[in-house]
Formats: sequence, C-alpha cells, structure tokens
Amino acid sequence: MNRILAPLLMCIALLGGTAVHAQEITFKASADRTEIATGDALKLTVSLVNAPMGSAIGNPAFGGLVVVQGPFDSNSFSNINGRMGSSVTRTWYLTAMQPGDYTIGSAMARVGGGMIQTEPIKVHVTKGQTTGPNSAQLEQAQKADPNLFCTISLSKSKVYVGEQILSTYTLYSRYNSLQPGDYDLPKLDGFWAEEIELGETSWEKVPQTVNGIRYNVAVLKKQVLIPQHGGKLRIEPMTLNYRVNPSFFSSGTPVRIKSNAAEVTVMDLPENKPADYIGAVGDLHLEVKTAATTVKANEAIDLTVRFSGRANLRLIDAPKLAFPSDFESYDPKMTDKITVNGGGMSGSREFQYLVIPRHEGDYDIGTLTYSYFDPASGQYKQLRSEPLTFHIQKGDPNASATISRPSRTDVQELGKDIRFIRTGDLALEPSGHHLFGSWPYVLGLLAPVGAFIAFFSWRRRRARLLADTHGLRRRGADKVARQRLKAAEEALTKNDRTAFYDALGKALEGYFADKFDLGVAEVNAAMVTAKLGHLDDGAVARAYNALLSDAEMARFAPFENRPRQASYDEAAALIRRIEDQLRA
Amino acid sequence: MKRSVLPLALLAMAATAARADHTALLRSAEEAYGKGEYRQALTLYDSVNTSHTSAALLFNIGNCWSKLDDTPHAILYYERALRLAPGAEDIQANLDQARTKVVDRVNELPGMTLGTLWDRLRGGTDVDQWARRSLWACLAAFVLAGIAVSVRAGALKRVLFGLGALAFAATLVSVALAAYRVGEVEDRSEAIIMVPKVDVLGEPRRGATTLFVLHQGTKVTVLQERNGWYEVKLGSGSVGWSAPASLERI
Repeated sequence: MNRILAPLLMCIALLGGTAVHAQEITFKASADRTEIATGDALKLTVSLVNAPMGSAIGNPAFGGLVVVQGPFDSNSFSNINGRMGSSVTRTWYLTAMQPGDYTIGSAMARVGGGMIQTEPIKVHVTKGQTTGPNSAQLEQAQKADPNLFCTISLSKSKVYVGEQILSTYTLYSRYNSLQPGDYDLPKLDGFWAEEIELGETSWEKVPQTVNGIRYNVAVLKKQVLIPQHGGKLRIEPMTLNYRVNPSFFSSGTPVRIKSNAAEVTVMDLPENKPADYIGAVGDLHLEVKTAATTVKANEAIDLTVRFSGRANLRLIDAPKLAFPSDFESYDPKMTDKITVNGGGMSGSREFQYLVIPRHEGDYDIGTLTYSYFDPASGQYKQLRSEPLTFHIQKGDPNASATISRPSRTDVQELGKDIRFIRTGDLALEPSGHHLFGSWPYVLGLLAPVGAFIAFFSWRRRRARLLADTHGLRRRGADKVARQRLKAAEEALTKNDRTAFYDALGKALEGYFADKFDLGVAEVNAAMVTAKLGHLDDGAVARAYNALLSDAEMARFAPFENRPRQASYDEAAALIRRIEDQLRA
Repeated sequence: MKRSVLPLALLAMAATAARADHTALLRSAEEAYGKGEYRQALTLYDSVNTSHTSAALLFNIGNCWSKLDDTPHAILYYERALRLAPGAEDIQANLDQARTKVVDRVNELPGMTLGTLWDRLRGGTDVDQWARRSLWACLAAFVLAGIAVSVRAGALKRVLFGLGALAFAATLVSVALAAYRVGEVEDRSEAIIMVPKVDVLGEPRRGATTLFVLHQGTKVTVLQERNGWYEVKLGSGSVGWSAPASLERI
C-alpha cells in the first residue's frame, strides 16, 4: 500500500507548486542490536533521506540471517518554513538459527543517475537458551482452556544464586482474532529481573501442534532472572485478559487466562568463598589496562579493570585495589556495556580508577586477582591480571603543592609472626662459665692492689735512703770493705803473700776513704787519728794505723810481724768495731 | 698491669676457639631455618647448646620451638634467653607472642619488672660485663693512686687521689652488680609448665586435694623439690605441689 502511496503523495506535494530545495542526501542502514541470541530478532532499518523523486532502495544481502517479518516501508515528508524534507525507510526483523558472526551486506539505492550504498553491519549471534515449555507444562495449561492458554517456562530449574535464568511467557491461541486487555505480571520475589527487548508482539509464522490441536503461538515476554538467595523460589502465575473475536458489532467475548506457576531450586554458592570474590556468577574475563607505567610522582594514573563475558555483570561490585599506601586512589568510575538478550546478560562492566602516586620509587603491585563463580563447573574461578609494576619518578615539587597531601594513617598490622632468628656471630660462651668468681677474676682484682702495695713500699724505702746520701755511702763502704777483705781472704787461702797484703792494704785504705768521703790519697796516719781518734780513746785509730803500716811494710819487705791470718782477723774485727761504734 | 690483662686474653682466646668449632653448625642451622626446616635447625642449635650458650642461641632455639608450635618449649627458651640478656627487645617480643597462646592468665604481682633502665644497667647480653668493668675500675683506681703517691703534694695530687677514690667506689659497685648478675643468671627457681595440663595438689602425693589446675607455658616459681615433686608458687601468690616431670626449670 505504501509503495503505491508514496509516489502519489510526492506528486501531490510537487503539484502544490513549492520548489524543492536541494538538500543533503543520506542513505543509512542501522540495526537496533548487533548482538543477539539464536531465536532473537533484530530490527534492521534502511533509510534514505532527502532523495529526489524516483529513487529506489534495493534490499541488502542478509548474509545468512533469516527474515522474520518485513520489509515494512514508511515514507515521510516535512515542510518546514518552505523547506521540503523527505525520507523513505524500510524495516526488516531478522533472526539467526545458528550462533556465529553474520554480516548484513550493503543496501543499494539509485539516486538520480548514480548508485549509493550503505555500510555493511556485523552481527554477533550467541547461542540462545532453549526456552520452550516442556510438554507436561503444555498439557496442564491446555487442560484449563484448550482454546487459549499461556505458559511460563524457565531455561533452568536448578541454579546457583546469581546464575541467570531465561523466563519466557508464551501465548497459545486457536482464535482468529484476539484483542489484548490488561494483564498482571507475576511478582518476582527473590529475583533480579531484566527485560529482553522483543519488539512488537507477533504470531510466529509456524503454528505449533499440542496434542493434535494447532495453535498460533506468540512470545509475549522474555526476561533474564537472577535469583538473589537460596531456596525454592516460585514465580506466581500470570493473569491475562483478552477479548476474543471482536468485530465491528461487538467488542468480543472477554476471556481471562492464567498461566502455570514456575519453580526454581536455587542453590547457595559453596562455602569456600575466596577473599577476592567479586559477586559475579557466570563466565568472566578480566582485562586490566593502564595508560602508563612510568609516571612522575603526583601525576595521575588511569587504571582500568574490565570484566567481560556472560554473567550477572550488573551485580559486580567495584573491586578493591591492593595498592600500597604511597598511592592515593579514588572511587572508580563505572562504565557498563551490557546487553540483555535471549542468551542472557552479557557484555562488560568497566571500572576506571584514578590512582595518584605520592612518592617516587619502583612499586611492584603484583597481579590483581578476582574470583567469580562458574556455575557450569560449580567452582570458584580466579582471574589474574598481568603483574603490574610502576616506576614513579621524582615529581615536580611545585605540582605537589597544589595537590592535597596524602592523608596520614597508622601503619596497619596485617599479620603476626615471631621475629626472625639472630644470625651471624651468636657470641657463644661456654655454658655455666662466668668471669666473675673465677681465678683469673680474683687475680685480676688482686693484681693492681698488690702492684700498688709493692710500688708504695719500694718508694718509701727509696725516699728514706735518698733522705741521707752519706748513709748510703757508708753502707756501701761496708760492702766494699767486706769485698776487699774477701780478696785478701782469697789470697790468704792461696798463700800468696804479696797479693794478700796488697788486698789488705787497699781494703783498709778504701774503707776509710769511703767511710769519711775522702780520696784514697788523703788516707794517712794523721787523718786516721783525726777521724777515728775519738773511738776507744784512740785505740782503734792506733790499731788501724798499725795494720796499715804492717800491710805497707809487708808489701815491700819480705818479713811479717804477725801471721797473715791474725792480720786478716784483726782487720775484719776492726772494721766491724768501727762500724758498730760509728753507728751507735 | 700486664698481670690483670693476661686472664682476659686467655678467656678471649678460649672463646674464639669455641666459636670457630661451632660456626659451621650454626651456619647450617641458619640455612635450615631459612628454608623452613625447623626440626633440623632445632637439632643443630641444640647440639651447639650442649657445650656453649648465649642469649642469641637460646632465642633461636625458642624460635624453632615456636615455629614447631611447641609453646611451652618456646617460652622456656625465650625466658632463658631473656635471663642472659634482660630487656632484649626481640626476645621480649617473641616471648609476648608465645605467651598469647598460654591458657592460664596469672595475675602477676606488681614490681616484677622494673623497666628497661634497670635492664640496661644490669647489662644487655653479657653476663660478665660488670665483672670486666670491675677489673678495669680496680686497675684504674690503683694506677691513679700510684701516680698520686708519686707526684709532689699539691692540687694535682689531691685530684688524682679523688679520682682514684671514685674509681675504687666504682669497683665496689661493679663487683656488687657482677655478683648480682651472676646470681640472677644462675638462679634456677623459676620454671615453665611443660605438660598440657597439671593438677597442683595440696600435698606432694597422688590423690591429694587439687588446689588449682595449670596449663602448659605458665611460669611458676619453684620453692622446693621433694621426691621429684615441686612446690610451686604462682605470680598471684597461690602455692601447691606439682607432679614430677610436669615442669622444667628456666
């Protein structure tokens, strides 16, 4: 109808006499979704704007996709302040039977003399979950009203908390004409629900046979349900009101139908939840990106943590970054690219962190690890990033002044352990041995005392001796005399006469000279008398002189007054006598 | 002066020889500990400890026991180490850590610790520190006195005599401290409960009234020993008899 109308209307517009201003011609193809699951439909729109009269749009190649509905054409004209605008739009609903990558080819349009074409569109088709109701559900629903019934079917009946379920509301009808009325959506207690865009509700091309009865089938609604807690969760029946066979004369017979109720057994996640669990259930991939790993202190680093895959992405919390305290990190910015289709919820959730290093140095952050739950294997799985290292160079000191100082926090104790052993020299000592109380110790203490006492007494004696020099000499004289007499004694035993008298004379002279501090030449009879005359009324002096002269005589003449022994004895006795008397 | 240095030199030589003997053992023990083979490290350290000892060695043995999760032995060796080196920070830290695993909380009487100043004064890791100081002080006192008697009477002589008197006083003090330290180190009156649980009885025989129950790692003071039974006193003042082989003296 439109195809006939379009040129007609154009002609009318032109006949109106308004000049058509040349305007920019655009020719575009667009799809409302480029990711669908098998069984889902996407809407392909090809529009030609401001084309002159007589332009024609050619169908694109669908590249394996199947046309469900269409094409539908629509034309529009506008006249704004004398400016004419026109657009021609052609729409298809396409679906795919097999998962895979499809490319919708270019659409061609002949405009004026030339051809223009659109960009091809790539479509990714994932495997959809089987959503059809099973025969038991169907039979039960059919019993209630064999002419019109509705079912709720779930893709799975036993899932983990957080796992996705696809619920499909399907209408079966034998009536030729139905007019929808109001309906009650079932309450979805315990679920997080996401609607799947279906476009316009329409009857499926192929009627379905249940128990030998043919039905027109329409999918009313599709939802992704994510259970939030464990246990048996129930989806209450859906109630729909229809008017059957309305006509010009009647508004139709009201029919109220009730779907079946659906039940899901929800299992709790296993107990051994890893510390880095981020709340995701499904199949995930991790991508960690940083713009730069070598920056200056106080310059911002952008760190992007991206989770992608088929999971309850909307329920992923911002993961914690295990950054050292030298880094200041801010709350992340969250970007979602999530599509919900017959395959469930998929896409990506991205957290963009702003991290500012405050001090220079090399920081090894290590790998970032996050865990999710994989319901297919019933296990937690860990995602690991590449190891992160940052080289922070010395920052601009002026820049740091403008940025707030890092907040100071107490050092946190993360764990406890005993301190490490002492290594190297352990300063070993023999067991049970102490210096204190040992013999070396006692000696060591006593030695200075003894040394002091010895030193002190030596000094006392020396001081006393130094106090009279003559006494020293006298004492020495005694020693010398005795020595000299010893020489005489030797000569006596050897019976050497000359040597004896020589020694005797020298001993007597030397003794006297030393005793009275005289030279040897000064020793003579007069001096002896002068010095020793006061002893024993001159007897000592006389005896001394006699001995001296005897010795002198005997030295040079060959005769002796007395035996040598007697002379020796007298000399010794005399010296002893002088000593005794002088000391007294 | 020579005479007082000689014994020190002899001691030093003996100590050096002992160290050389054990260096290899200690090295391999360190290695074993580093690799986490605590049992092996313990055996090696223990073999050294049979003849020679030091606070550091006892500390390392305590660490091995601690890593082997034997709290009473760890506490025993930390206490022994701490007695050789009062106030040593890391020993105290590990002892505190080990004590957190002790079940009994005994209210210690106040005045048990006099603070780090006293610990430091008593002399870190070295038991003989004050003995050596007393020797030096004694030497100084008499050398000063010797010089003092040699110089002419005057201000210098008085000063030297004064210094000598001070040095002598220091000698007396350090002898006293040395005696105290040695007495402290040789004091074996404290003990650690080594068995998981022991009933402390009113009399030294089986079947006597149970006064209280002690658990491993608790420190007690042994008042006397009788037929293998120990009369023990807690920090809180309670006294009773502990069964034979239930404790080990520090």
